[in-house]
Amino acid sequence: MTEKPTPRITAINKPFWDGCNQGRLMLQRCAAPECRKHVFYPRVCCPHCGHGALDWVEASGRGRILTYTEIHRPGHDAFLGEVPFLFIAVGLDEDPTIHSRLAGPAADNAGLIGRPVKVVFHQSTERQKLPFFALAG
Amino acid sequence: MARTPYEGVFVVGAGQTVYQKRSDKTVHRVIWEALDAGLRSARLAQRDVQGLALTCFLLPPDNVTTVCEHFGIEARFLFQGLYGGASSIIGMLHAARAIRDGNADVVACVAADAFDVAAHNEMLDRFNGPMRDYLAPYGFGGANGVFALHTRLYMETFGARREDFGRLCVAQRANAGQNPNALLRTPMSLDDYLNARLIAEPLRLYDCVMPCVGGDAVILASEQVARRLGVPLVRIAGGGEMHNYPANDVYSLRGGWERIAPRMYEQAGCGPRDLAFAQLYDDYPVMEAIQLEGLGIAPRGKAHEWLRANDTTWRGTFPINTGGGQLSAGQAGASGGMIGVVEGVLQLRGEGGERQVKNAKRGIVAGYGLVAYGRGQSASAAVLERVD
Repeated sequence: MTEKPTPRITAINKPFWDGCNQGRLMLQRCAAPECRKHVFYPRVCCPHCGHGALDWVEASGRGRILTYTEIHRPGHDAFLGEVPFLFIAVGLDEDPTIHSRLAGPAADNAGLIGRPVKVVFHQSTERQKLPFFALAG
Repeated sequence: MARTPYEGVFVVGAGQTVYQKRSDKTVHRVIWEALDAGLRSARLAQRDVQGLALTCFLLPPDNVTTVCEHFGIEARFLFQGLYGGASSIIGMLHAARAIRDGNADVVACVAADAFDVAAHNEMLDRFNGPMRDYLAPYGFGGANGVFALHTRLYMETFGARREDFGRLCVAQRANAGQNPNALLRTPMSLDDYLNARLIAEPLRLYDCVMPCVGGDAVILASEQVARRLGVPLVRIAGGGEMHNYPANDVYSLRGGWERIAPRMYEQAGCGPRDLAFAQLYDDYPVMEAIQLEGLGIAPRGKAHEWLRANDTTWRGTFPINTGGGQLSAGQAGASGGMIGVVEGVLQLRGEGGERQVKNAKRGIVAGYGLVAYGRGQSASAAVLERVD
Protein backbone atom coordinates (compact mmCIF):
# COMPACT_ATOMS: atom_id res chain seq x y z
CA MET A 1 0.00 0.00 0.00
CA THR A 2 1.55 3.26 -1.07
CA GLU A 3 1.38 6.18 1.33
CA LYS A 4 -0.74 9.25 0.74
CA PRO A 5 1.04 12.41 -0.34
CA THR A 6 1.44 14.84 2.53
CA PRO A 7 1.99 18.59 2.57
CA ARG A 8 5.43 20.01 3.18
CA ILE A 9 5.20 21.95 6.45
CA THR A 10 7.02 25.28 6.32
CA ALA A 11 7.31 28.36 8.52
CA ILE A 12 4.66 29.94 6.28
CA ASN A 13 1.99 27.23 6.39
CA LYS A 14 2.58 25.63 9.82
CA PRO A 15 -0.25 27.56 11.57
CA PHE A 16 -2.72 26.25 8.96
CA TRP A 17 -1.70 22.59 9.29
CA ASP A 18 -1.37 22.78 13.10
CA GLY A 19 -4.83 24.34 13.19
CA CYS A 20 -6.28 21.41 11.23
CA ASN A 21 -4.87 18.95 13.77
CA GLN A 22 -6.49 21.06 16.53
CA GLY A 23 -9.84 21.19 14.76
CA ARG A 24 -9.58 24.85 13.75
CA LEU A 25 -9.64 26.24 10.21
CA MET A 26 -7.00 28.96 10.19
CA LEU A 27 -6.73 31.60 7.48
CA GLN A 28 -4.32 34.42 6.93
CA ARG A 29 -5.67 37.96 6.96
CA CYS A 30 -3.86 40.95 5.49
CA ALA A 31 -2.67 43.30 8.24
CA ALA A 32 -2.88 46.43 6.06
CA PRO A 33 -5.79 48.50 7.46
CA GLU A 34 -7.01 49.44 3.99
CA CYS A 35 -7.04 45.81 2.82
CA ARG A 36 -7.77 43.28 5.61
CA LYS A 37 -8.66 40.60 3.05
CA HIS A 38 -8.53 36.92 4.00
CA VAL A 39 -6.03 34.74 2.16
CA PHE A 40 -5.76 31.05 1.29
CA TYR A 41 -3.42 29.18 0.51
CA PRO A 42 -0.78 30.55 2.94
CA ARG A 43 1.46 33.24 1.41
CA VAL A 44 4.40 35.42 2.38
CA CYS A 45 2.52 38.53 1.27
CA CYS A 46 -1.04 39.55 0.55
CA PRO A 47 -1.93 38.61 -3.06
CA HIS A 48 -4.51 41.42 -3.15
CA CYS A 49 -2.33 44.38 -2.13
CA GLY A 50 1.26 43.07 -1.77
CA HIS A 51 1.49 43.92 1.94
CA GLY A 52 4.12 41.86 3.76
CA ALA A 53 2.34 41.27 7.08
CA LEU A 54 -0.46 38.74 7.44
CA ASP A 55 -2.23 37.76 10.66
CA TRP A 56 -3.59 34.29 11.40
CA VAL A 57 -7.28 34.18 12.29
CA GLU A 58 -9.73 31.34 12.87
CA ALA A 59 -12.28 31.13 10.07
CA SER A 60 -15.97 30.39 10.49
CA GLY A 61 -15.52 27.10 8.65
CA ARG A 62 -18.59 27.92 6.61
CA GLY A 63 -18.91 28.36 2.87
CA ARG A 64 -20.66 27.25 -0.29
CA ILE A 65 -19.76 24.66 -2.90
CA LEU A 66 -18.45 26.47 -6.01
CA THR A 67 -18.08 23.31 -8.08
CA TYR A 68 -17.49 19.59 -7.63
CA THR A 69 -16.45 16.36 -9.30
CA GLU A 70 -16.86 12.70 -8.46
CA ILE A 71 -13.38 11.18 -8.71
CA HIS A 72 -13.24 7.68 -10.14
CA ARG A 73 -9.56 7.58 -11.06
CA PRO A 74 -7.43 9.27 -8.40
CA GLY A 75 -4.04 10.59 -9.47
CA HIS A 76 -2.36 8.59 -6.70
CA ASP A 77 -2.81 4.88 -5.92
CA ALA A 78 -3.11 5.52 -2.17
CA PHE A 79 -6.67 6.79 -2.78
CA LEU A 80 -7.86 3.83 -4.86
CA GLY A 81 -9.71 2.31 -1.89
CA GLU A 82 -11.75 5.51 -1.39
CA VAL A 83 -13.28 5.97 -4.86
CA PRO A 84 -15.67 7.29 -5.83
CA PHE A 85 -15.40 10.42 -3.71
CA LEU A 86 -16.36 14.04 -4.22
CA PHE A 87 -13.58 16.55 -4.75
CA ILE A 88 -14.93 20.07 -4.33
CA ALA A 89 -14.03 23.74 -4.43
CA VAL A 90 -15.53 25.78 -1.61
CA GLY A 91 -15.98 29.53 -1.51
CA LEU A 92 -15.45 30.32 2.16
CA ASP A 93 -17.67 32.95 3.81
CA GLU A 94 -14.44 34.94 4.37
CA ASP A 95 -13.96 34.89 0.54
CA PRO A 96 -10.96 32.67 -0.31
CA THR A 97 -11.43 29.52 -2.37
CA ILE A 98 -10.30 26.23 -0.83
CA HIS A 99 -10.17 22.82 -2.50
CA SER A 100 -11.26 19.90 -0.37
CA ARG A 101 -13.47 16.83 -0.27
CA LEU A 102 -17.10 16.40 0.65
CA ALA A 103 -17.30 14.35 3.83
CA GLY A 104 -19.48 11.27 3.71
CA PRO A 105 -20.62 9.04 0.86
CA ALA A 106 -20.85 10.38 -2.69
CA ALA A 107 -24.48 9.33 -3.04
CA ASP A 108 -26.80 11.87 -4.66
CA ASN A 109 -24.53 14.58 -6.00
CA ALA A 110 -26.85 16.47 -8.33
CA GLY A 111 -27.30 20.18 -7.71
CA LEU A 112 -24.46 20.58 -5.25
CA ILE A 113 -23.29 23.92 -6.60
CA GLY A 114 -24.25 26.67 -4.18
CA ARG A 115 -25.04 24.30 -1.29
CA PRO A 116 -23.83 25.53 2.14
CA VAL A 117 -21.12 23.46 3.82
CA LYS A 118 -19.31 23.39 7.15
CA VAL A 119 -15.78 22.22 7.83
CA VAL A 120 -15.06 18.87 9.51
CA PHE A 121 -11.62 17.50 10.15
CA HIS A 122 -10.62 14.16 8.69
CA GLN A 123 -7.70 12.10 9.97
CA SER A 124 -6.07 11.51 6.58
CA THR A 125 -2.71 10.19 7.69
CA GLU A 126 -1.37 9.30 11.12
CA ARG A 127 0.12 12.77 11.57
CA GLN A 128 -2.17 15.07 9.65
CA LYS A 129 -5.86 15.93 9.69
CA LEU A 130 -7.28 17.59 6.57
CA PRO A 131 -10.22 19.99 6.40
CA PHE A 132 -13.12 18.25 4.63
CA PHE A 133 -16.57 19.83 4.28
CA ALA A 134 -20.00 18.41 5.10
CA LEU A 135 -23.34 19.63 3.75
CA ALA A 136 -24.93 22.05 6.23
CA GLY A 137 -28.66 22.64 6.42
CA MET B 1 1.18 45.55 -41.24
CA ALA B 2 4.29 47.22 -39.82
CA ARG B 3 2.90 47.16 -36.31
CA THR B 4 3.81 43.55 -35.56
CA PRO B 5 6.79 43.26 -33.21
CA TYR B 6 7.87 40.24 -35.25
CA GLU B 7 8.43 41.99 -38.59
CA GLY B 8 11.29 40.54 -40.59
CA VAL B 9 11.13 37.18 -38.83
CA PHE B 10 9.76 34.05 -40.48
CA VAL B 11 8.81 30.54 -39.48
CA VAL B 12 10.79 28.55 -42.03
CA GLY B 13 10.27 25.00 -40.84
CA ALA B 14 8.05 22.72 -38.79
CA GLY B 15 8.70 19.15 -37.80
CA GLN B 16 7.35 16.40 -35.59
CA THR B 17 8.76 13.12 -34.35
CA VAL B 18 6.77 9.94 -34.49
CA TYR B 19 4.35 9.86 -31.51
CA GLN B 20 4.58 6.65 -29.45
CA LYS B 21 2.60 5.30 -26.50
CA ARG B 22 5.84 4.27 -24.89
CA SER B 23 9.48 4.17 -25.79
CA ASP B 24 12.84 3.77 -24.11
CA LYS B 25 14.15 6.89 -25.85
CA THR B 26 15.59 9.53 -23.53
CA VAL B 27 14.15 13.04 -23.76
CA HIS B 28 17.45 14.25 -25.23
CA ARG B 29 16.90 11.92 -28.16
CA VAL B 30 13.29 13.00 -28.63
CA ILE B 31 14.38 16.67 -28.54
CA TRP B 32 17.04 15.96 -31.16
CA GLU B 33 14.61 14.11 -33.43
CA ALA B 34 12.14 17.01 -33.28
CA LEU B 35 14.94 19.53 -33.96
CA ASP B 36 16.18 17.42 -36.87
CA ALA B 37 12.68 17.17 -38.37
CA GLY B 38 12.21 20.94 -38.08
CA LEU B 39 15.60 21.71 -39.64
CA ARG B 40 14.93 19.36 -42.57
CA SER B 41 11.67 21.17 -43.22
CA ALA B 42 13.61 24.47 -43.19
CA ARG B 43 16.43 23.12 -45.36
CA LEU B 44 18.84 24.10 -42.61
CA ALA B 45 21.41 22.09 -40.66
CA GLN B 46 22.22 22.01 -36.97
CA ARG B 47 25.37 24.12 -37.59
CA ASP B 48 23.05 26.98 -38.67
CA VAL B 49 21.27 27.08 -35.29
CA GLN B 50 22.23 30.12 -33.21
CA GLY B 51 19.60 29.89 -30.53
CA LEU B 52 17.29 27.41 -28.84
CA ALA B 53 13.91 27.83 -27.16
CA LEU B 54 13.19 24.57 -25.39
CA THR B 55 10.39 23.19 -23.22
CA CYS B 56 10.57 19.75 -21.66
CA PHE B 57 9.09 18.74 -18.29
CA LEU B 58 11.38 15.75 -17.89
CA LEU B 59 14.59 17.64 -18.68
CA PRO B 60 15.68 18.59 -15.11
CA PRO B 61 18.28 18.33 -13.69
CA ASP B 62 19.46 19.17 -17.22
CA ASN B 63 18.37 22.38 -18.89
CA VAL B 64 18.54 24.21 -22.20
CA THR B 65 22.21 25.07 -21.66
CA THR B 66 23.29 21.49 -21.01
CA VAL B 67 21.30 20.46 -24.07
CA CYS B 68 23.43 22.89 -26.09
CA GLU B 69 26.52 21.18 -24.71
CA HIS B 70 25.07 17.76 -25.48
CA PHE B 71 24.21 18.76 -29.06
CA GLY B 72 27.30 20.94 -29.67
CA ILE B 73 25.29 24.11 -30.34
CA GLU B 74 26.97 27.49 -29.76
CA ALA B 75 24.01 29.68 -28.82
CA ARG B 76 23.47 33.45 -28.72
CA PHE B 77 19.89 33.10 -27.50
CA LEU B 78 18.38 30.59 -25.10
CA PHE B 79 14.91 30.24 -23.61
CA GLN B 80 13.57 27.49 -21.39
CA GLY B 81 9.81 27.29 -21.00
CA LEU B 82 8.52 27.32 -17.44
CA TYR B 83 4.91 27.92 -18.40
CA GLY B 84 3.76 24.38 -19.20
CA GLY B 85 1.70 24.19 -22.38
CA ALA B 86 1.85 27.98 -22.85
CA SER B 87 5.65 27.83 -23.13
CA SER B 88 6.08 26.90 -26.77
CA ILE B 89 4.30 29.93 -28.18
CA ILE B 90 5.89 32.20 -25.58
CA GLY B 91 9.33 30.84 -26.50
CA MET B 92 8.60 31.37 -30.18
CA LEU B 93 7.59 35.00 -29.56
CA HIS B 94 10.68 35.67 -27.42
CA ALA B 95 12.88 34.08 -30.07
CA ALA B 96 11.26 36.14 -32.82
CA ARG B 97 12.00 39.37 -30.95
CA ALA B 98 15.62 38.25 -30.45
CA ILE B 99 15.96 37.66 -34.20
CA ARG B 100 14.26 40.98 -34.98
CA ASP B 101 16.77 42.72 -32.70
CA GLY B 102 19.68 41.07 -34.50
CA ASN B 103 20.76 38.75 -31.68
CA ALA B 104 20.53 35.64 -33.86
CA ASP B 105 19.55 34.65 -37.40
CA VAL B 106 18.22 31.15 -36.78
CA VAL B 107 16.49 29.93 -33.61
CA ALA B 108 15.02 26.47 -33.13
CA CYS B 109 11.92 26.25 -30.93
CA VAL B 110 11.48 22.72 -29.61
CA ALA B 111 9.17 20.96 -27.17
CA ALA B 112 9.39 17.29 -26.34
CA ASP B 113 8.77 14.79 -23.56
CA ALA B 114 8.59 11.06 -22.89
CA PHE B 115 5.65 10.37 -20.59
CA ASP B 116 3.43 7.50 -19.59
CA VAL B 117 0.40 7.73 -17.27
CA ALA B 118 2.33 6.83 -14.10
CA ALA B 119 5.10 9.37 -14.75
CA HIS B 120 2.49 12.02 -15.58
CA ASN B 121 0.58 11.48 -12.32
CA GLU B 122 3.76 11.40 -10.27
CA MET B 123 4.85 14.71 -11.79
CA LEU B 124 1.48 16.37 -11.11
CA ASP B 125 1.46 15.48 -7.40
CA ARG B 126 4.71 17.46 -7.06
CA PHE B 127 4.27 19.89 -9.95
CA ASN B 128 4.60 22.95 -7.75
CA GLY B 129 4.12 23.96 -4.13
CA PRO B 130 0.38 24.73 -4.23
CA MET B 131 -0.42 21.41 -5.92
CA ARG B 132 1.89 19.37 -3.70
CA ASP B 133 0.73 20.95 -0.44
CA TYR B 134 -2.93 21.88 -0.98
CA LEU B 135 -4.29 19.55 -3.70
CA ALA B 136 -2.35 16.26 -3.71
CA PRO B 137 -3.12 15.36 -0.04
CA TYR B 138 -6.84 15.17 -0.95
CA GLY B 139 -6.34 12.65 -3.77
CA PHE B 140 -7.54 15.33 -6.18
CA GLY B 141 -7.32 13.23 -9.33
CA GLY B 142 -4.52 15.21 -10.93
CA ALA B 143 -5.30 17.49 -13.85
CA ASN B 144 -8.43 15.42 -14.56
CA GLY B 145 -9.85 16.38 -11.16
CA VAL B 146 -9.01 20.06 -11.56
CA PHE B 147 -10.55 20.37 -15.02
CA ALA B 148 -13.57 18.29 -14.06
CA LEU B 149 -14.32 21.13 -11.61
CA HIS B 150 -14.13 23.72 -14.40
CA THR B 151 -16.14 21.53 -16.79
CA ARG B 152 -18.93 21.04 -14.23
CA LEU B 153 -19.07 24.75 -13.48
CA TYR B 154 -19.06 25.71 -17.18
CA MET B 155 -21.93 23.29 -17.87
CA GLU B 156 -24.07 24.53 -14.98
CA THR B 157 -23.29 28.23 -15.49
CA PHE B 158 -23.84 28.41 -19.25
CA GLY B 159 -26.08 25.42 -19.93
CA ALA B 160 -23.53 23.42 -21.91
CA ARG B 161 -24.06 19.68 -22.32
CA ARG B 162 -21.62 16.82 -22.59
CA GLU B 163 -22.76 16.40 -26.18
CA ASP B 164 -21.36 19.87 -26.98
CA PHE B 165 -17.88 18.93 -25.81
CA GLY B 166 -18.42 15.57 -27.48
CA ARG B 167 -18.93 17.19 -30.89
CA LEU B 168 -15.52 18.79 -30.58
CA CYS B 169 -13.81 15.57 -29.47
CA VAL B 170 -15.47 13.54 -32.23
CA ALA B 171 -14.43 16.13 -34.83
CA GLN B 172 -10.84 16.07 -33.59
CA ARG B 173 -10.84 12.28 -33.86
CA ALA B 174 -12.01 12.61 -37.45
CA ASN B 175 -9.11 15.00 -38.07
CA ALA B 176 -6.69 12.55 -36.48
CA GLY B 177 -7.91 9.94 -38.93
CA GLN B 178 -6.22 11.99 -41.66
CA ASN B 179 -2.98 12.40 -39.68
CA PRO B 180 -0.62 9.42 -39.99
CA ASN B 181 1.26 10.60 -36.91
CA ALA B 182 -1.73 10.66 -34.52
CA LEU B 183 -1.91 7.90 -31.92
CA LEU B 184 -5.73 7.62 -31.70
CA ARG B 185 -7.05 7.25 -35.25
CA THR B 186 -9.89 4.76 -34.93
CA PRO B 187 -13.16 6.58 -35.65
CA MET B 188 -15.09 7.61 -32.53
CA SER B 189 -18.86 8.17 -32.41
CA LEU B 190 -20.67 10.53 -30.07
CA ASP B 191 -21.97 7.44 -28.23
CA ASP B 192 -18.41 6.17 -27.77
CA TYR B 193 -17.55 9.54 -26.22
CA LEU B 194 -20.63 9.75 -23.99
CA ASN B 195 -20.36 6.18 -22.68
CA ALA B 196 -16.61 5.99 -22.12
CA ARG B 197 -15.16 5.00 -18.76
CA LEU B 198 -15.73 7.56 -15.97
CA ILE B 199 -12.58 9.35 -14.86
CA ALA B 200 -13.68 12.39 -12.85
CA GLU B 201 -17.35 13.06 -13.48
CA PRO B 202 -18.38 14.77 -15.76
CA LEU B 203 -15.10 13.88 -17.49
CA ARG B 204 -14.83 10.48 -19.14
CA LEU B 205 -11.94 8.82 -20.90
CA TYR B 206 -12.09 10.75 -24.19
CA ASP B 207 -12.12 14.14 -22.44
CA CYS B 208 -8.62 13.34 -21.22
CA VAL B 209 -5.37 13.34 -23.16
CA MET B 210 -3.15 10.29 -23.36
CA PRO B 211 0.38 10.83 -22.07
CA CYS B 212 2.90 9.68 -24.67
CA VAL B 213 6.37 10.15 -26.17
CA GLY B 214 7.03 12.72 -28.87
CA GLY B 215 8.41 16.07 -29.87
CA ASP B 216 7.59 19.05 -32.09
CA ALA B 217 9.68 21.92 -33.45
CA VAL B 218 9.45 25.07 -35.50
CA ILE B 219 12.44 26.94 -36.90
CA LEU B 220 12.56 30.76 -37.02
CA ALA B 221 14.88 32.75 -39.24
CA SER B 222 15.68 36.34 -40.12
CA GLU B 223 14.47 37.65 -43.47
CA GLN B 224 17.99 37.54 -44.87
CA VAL B 225 18.29 33.81 -44.16
CA ALA B 226 14.65 32.97 -44.82
CA ARG B 227 14.58 34.41 -48.36
CA ARG B 228 17.38 32.16 -49.62
CA LEU B 229 16.02 28.87 -48.29
CA GLY B 230 13.40 28.29 -50.97
CA VAL B 231 10.79 27.13 -48.47
CA PRO B 232 7.27 28.49 -47.94
CA LEU B 233 7.37 31.37 -45.46
CA VAL B 234 5.04 32.01 -42.54
CA ARG B 235 5.03 35.23 -40.54
CA ILE B 236 4.01 35.87 -36.96
CA ALA B 237 1.40 38.56 -37.46
CA GLY B 238 0.75 39.10 -33.76
CA GLY B 239 0.88 37.38 -30.42
CA GLY B 240 1.11 37.62 -26.68
CA GLU B 241 1.23 35.99 -23.28
CA MET B 242 -0.73 36.50 -20.06
CA HIS B 243 -0.19 34.91 -16.67
CA ASN B 244 -2.24 34.59 -13.48
CA TYR B 245 -5.29 36.23 -15.01
CA PRO B 246 -7.63 37.00 -13.42
CA ALA B 247 -5.64 37.10 -10.16
CA ASN B 248 -7.27 35.65 -7.03
CA ASP B 249 -10.22 34.25 -8.98
CA VAL B 250 -9.79 30.54 -9.72
CA TYR B 251 -13.33 29.85 -10.98
CA SER B 252 -13.92 32.79 -13.32
CA LEU B 253 -14.31 30.55 -16.42
CA ARG B 254 -12.01 33.04 -18.15
CA GLY B 255 -8.37 33.01 -19.12
CA GLY B 256 -5.55 35.25 -20.29
CA TRP B 257 -6.60 35.08 -23.95
CA GLU B 258 -9.17 37.85 -23.50
CA ARG B 259 -6.29 40.12 -22.46
CA ILE B 260 -3.99 38.93 -25.24
CA ALA B 261 -6.56 39.13 -28.04
CA PRO B 262 -7.17 42.88 -28.57
CA ARG B 263 -3.47 43.75 -28.90
CA MET B 264 -2.70 40.61 -30.92
CA TYR B 265 -5.43 41.32 -33.48
CA GLU B 266 -4.37 44.95 -33.67
CA GLN B 267 -0.79 43.90 -34.41
CA ALA B 268 -2.05 41.45 -37.02
CA GLY B 269 -4.48 43.89 -38.60
CA CYS B 270 -7.21 41.27 -38.58
CA GLY B 271 -9.91 39.83 -36.37
CA PRO B 272 -11.37 36.47 -35.46
CA ARG B 273 -13.49 36.46 -38.64
CA ASP B 274 -10.33 36.45 -40.77
CA LEU B 275 -9.00 33.14 -39.48
CA ALA B 276 -9.02 29.94 -41.56
CA PHE B 277 -8.49 27.70 -38.53
CA ALA B 278 -7.61 27.56 -34.84
CA GLN B 279 -5.12 25.21 -33.21
CA LEU B 280 -6.20 25.40 -29.57
CA TYR B 281 -4.64 23.99 -26.43
CA ASP B 282 -6.86 20.97 -25.85
CA ASP B 283 -5.84 19.46 -22.54
CA TYR B 284 -9.60 19.34 -21.90
CA PRO B 285 -12.48 20.39 -24.17
CA VAL B 286 -13.73 22.96 -21.63
CA MET B 287 -10.48 24.88 -22.07
CA GLU B 288 -11.02 24.95 -25.83
CA ALA B 289 -14.42 26.52 -25.14
CA ILE B 290 -12.81 29.15 -22.92
CA GLN B 291 -10.15 29.84 -25.57
CA LEU B 292 -12.80 30.20 -28.30
CA GLU B 293 -14.46 32.84 -26.12
CA GLY B 294 -11.28 34.61 -25.00
CA LEU B 295 -9.98 34.81 -28.56
CA GLY B 296 -13.26 36.32 -29.74
CA ILE B 297 -14.22 33.38 -31.97
CA ALA B 298 -17.33 32.56 -29.91
CA PRO B 299 -19.33 34.92 -27.65
CA ARG B 300 -18.62 34.75 -23.92
CA GLY B 301 -20.47 31.86 -22.30
CA LYS B 302 -21.73 30.62 -25.65
CA ALA B 303 -18.91 28.47 -27.03
CA HIS B 304 -21.12 25.40 -26.64
CA GLU B 305 -23.80 27.02 -28.84
CA TRP B 306 -21.11 28.01 -31.34
CA LEU B 307 -19.94 24.38 -31.38
CA ARG B 308 -23.49 23.21 -32.14
CA ALA B 309 -23.58 25.55 -35.13
CA ASN B 310 -20.14 24.73 -36.55
CA ASP B 311 -18.36 21.76 -38.07
CA THR B 312 -14.80 21.85 -36.69
CA THR B 313 -13.29 19.12 -38.86
CA TRP B 314 -10.57 20.05 -41.35
CA ARG B 315 -13.18 20.53 -44.07
CA GLY B 316 -15.78 22.14 -41.81
CA THR B 317 -17.07 25.66 -41.29
CA PHE B 318 -14.29 26.47 -38.78
CA PRO B 319 -11.56 23.84 -38.48
CA ILE B 320 -10.10 23.27 -35.01
CA ASN B 321 -7.07 21.13 -34.17
CA THR B 322 -6.79 19.81 -37.68
CA GLY B 323 -4.20 17.17 -36.80
CA GLY B 324 -6.39 15.70 -34.05
CA GLY B 325 -4.88 17.82 -31.28
CA GLN B 326 -3.58 16.36 -28.07
CA LEU B 327 -6.91 14.63 -27.45
CA SER B 328 -6.40 12.36 -30.43
CA ALA B 329 -2.71 12.68 -31.37
CA GLY B 330 -1.53 12.30 -27.76
CA GLN B 331 0.01 14.62 -25.17
CA ALA B 332 3.77 14.25 -25.14
CA GLY B 333 4.13 16.42 -22.02
CA ALA B 334 5.44 19.86 -22.93
CA SER B 335 5.06 19.05 -26.61
CA GLY B 336 1.34 19.61 -26.15
CA GLY B 337 2.13 23.32 -26.36
CA MET B 338 3.90 22.95 -29.72
CA ILE B 339 1.79 20.36 -31.52
CA GLY B 340 -0.73 23.03 -32.57
CA VAL B 341 1.98 25.42 -33.74
CA VAL B 342 3.49 22.73 -35.95
CA GLU B 343 0.06 21.83 -37.31
CA GLY B 344 -0.72 25.49 -37.98
CA VAL B 345 2.54 26.04 -39.85
CA LEU B 346 2.02 22.85 -41.93
CA GLN B 347 -1.48 24.05 -42.88
CA LEU B 348 -0.20 27.50 -43.91
CA ARG B 349 2.59 25.88 -45.96
CA GLY B 350 -0.01 23.76 -47.75
CA GLU B 351 1.51 20.61 -46.27
CA GLY B 352 -1.64 19.42 -44.51
CA GLY B 353 -1.93 16.35 -46.76
CA GLU B 354 -5.31 14.59 -46.52
CA ARG B 355 -6.42 17.12 -43.90
CA GLN B 356 -5.38 20.30 -45.72
CA VAL B 357 -7.69 23.23 -44.92
CA LYS B 358 -8.79 25.09 -48.06
CA ASN B 359 -7.46 28.64 -48.49
CA ALA B 360 -5.41 28.43 -45.30
CA LYS B 361 -3.97 31.93 -45.44
CA ARG B 362 -4.12 32.83 -41.77
CA GLY B 363 -4.80 30.95 -38.55
CA ILE B 364 -4.48 31.19 -34.81
CA VAL B 365 -2.51 29.04 -32.38
CA ALA B 366 -2.98 29.08 -28.60
CA GLY B 367 -1.23 27.63 -25.57
CA TYR B 368 -2.16 27.07 -21.94
CA GLY B 369 -0.46 25.57 -18.96
CA LEU B 370 1.18 25.38 -15.60
CA VAL B 371 -1.66 24.17 -13.44
CA ALA B 372 -1.22 25.48 -9.90
CA TYR B 373 -3.97 26.02 -7.29
CA GLY B 374 -6.94 24.95 -9.36
CA ARG B 375 -6.24 26.28 -12.85
CA GLY B 376 -3.59 26.80 -15.49
CA GLN B 377 -1.60 29.93 -14.76
CA SER B 378 -0.32 30.78 -18.23
CA ALA B 379 -1.95 31.58 -21.55
CA SER B 380 -0.42 32.38 -24.92
CA ALA B 381 -1.55 32.89 -28.50
CA ALA B 382 -0.29 33.96 -31.92
CA VAL B 383 -1.72 34.73 -35.33
CA LEU B 384 0.29 33.03 -38.08
CA GLU B 385 0.03 34.05 -41.74
CA ARG B 386 1.27 32.63 -45.01
CA VAL B 387 3.56 34.95 -46.98
CA ASP B 388 2.65 34.86 -50.67
